[in-house]
Amino acid sequence: MTDCGCEKAKAELEEYLHQELSDQDLRDIEEHLAGCPDCSREHLIGVSLITRVRQACCETAPEELRLSIRARIDALRP
Amino acid sequence: MTLLCLATAPPDTTGRQPVPSLGAGRSGLPDAAELAAVDWRAMPKSTPRTPDADAKAQFEEQALPYMDQLYAAAMRMTRNPADAADLVQETFVKAFQSWKSFEQGTNLKAWLYRIQTNAFINSYRKKQRDPYQGSTDELEEWQLSGAESRTATTTQSAELEALDHLPDSDVKQALAEIPEDFRMAVYLADVEGFAYQEIADIMKTPVGTVMSRLHRGRKLLREKLRDYAVDRGFLAEPEGATR
Repeated sequence: MTDCGCEKAKAELEEYLHQELSDQDLRDIEEHLAGCPDCSREHLIGVSLITRVRQACCETAPEELRLSIRARIDALRP
Repeated sequence: MTLLCLATAPPDTTGRQPVPSLGAGRSGLPDAAELAAVDWRAMPKSTPRTPDADAKAQFEEQALPYMDQLYAAAMRMTRNPADAADLVQETFVKAFQSWKSFEQGTNLKAWLYRIQTNAFINSYRKKQRDPYQGSTDELEEWQLSGAESRTATTTQSAELEALDHLPDSDVKQALAEIPEDFRMAVYLADVEGFAYQEIADIMKTPVGTVMSRLHRGRKLLREKLRDYAVDRGFLAEPEGATR
C-alpha cells in the first residue's frame, strides 16, 4: 500500500467530499483515510458540516406564494 | 418522455380533434421503437389542447415542483422571507416566459437556478439598501486561517459532537454571516449537490473560483459554528484563542 500522506489528503478532502476527484485520486484518499484516524476525523467533520447545512436549509414555500405564482403564470403566455 | 406527459395529462373534453404530435414538439416525432412501446389503449381518446396550454401544463408539471428548493435558496440569498418570495416569483415568471428555450432532457434544476441567480444579481441586489458585500474572492488569507490552526487545540471529536448539538438556527445564522459568494457556493454544492462545473455555470465564474469560494466558505462556516458551540458551552474555549 502506498499511502499518499496527510498533506495530499487534507488538500483534496473538499474535492473528495464533493465527489470531484479522478478515480486514481479517489483511491489514494480512500486508502489514506482508512489508515489515518486524524484525517478520517477531519473527513467526518466535513461530512457533518454538509449534513447540518442540508438539514438547516430545508424550507417549504409559503402557500400564498404558491397561489400567487400559479395566478401569475395563468395570466401569462409562454 | 413527452408521450408520457400526454398520456398522463388530464383529458380535455372541449373538443374532439386529436393532435398527436403536440407533445413530441421539441424533440421531433417519436421513432418507430418509441411508437411500438406506447400502449395506445391507455392514451386519451383526444388531446385537443392549444400549444400554449400544452406548454403551460408542461411547465407546471416540470418546473413548479422545484418551488420549495428555489425558495430555500432564495432565503439564503436574500436572508428574509418577503424578498425571498419576490425573488422566487420573479424566477418562475422569467422561467415561464423563456420556457420555449429550455431544452427538454437537460438539467432543469440547474436552468432554474441560473435564472434565479441572474434575477438576484440583476434586479434584487440593485434594489437592496445594504451595499453589496464586496468582491470576496480577495479576502486575505489571514482572515481565513482560523479554522485549521485551531484544530490542534480543540479536539476533533469534541467538535464533531458539538456540530451535532447545534440548533439549525445557528447553522442558518452562520451561513447568513458568511460573504454572499461563499454562501452561494456552499449552498449549491452542499444542499443542492451540484457539480463544480454546474455551479460555475450558475454563478458565471470559472471552476477554480468555485473551488476557492467553496473551500473558504466552508472554512468560515466551520469556524463560526465552532465559536457558537463555545458560546453555548458545547465546546471548551480553545487555549490561547484570541477571540
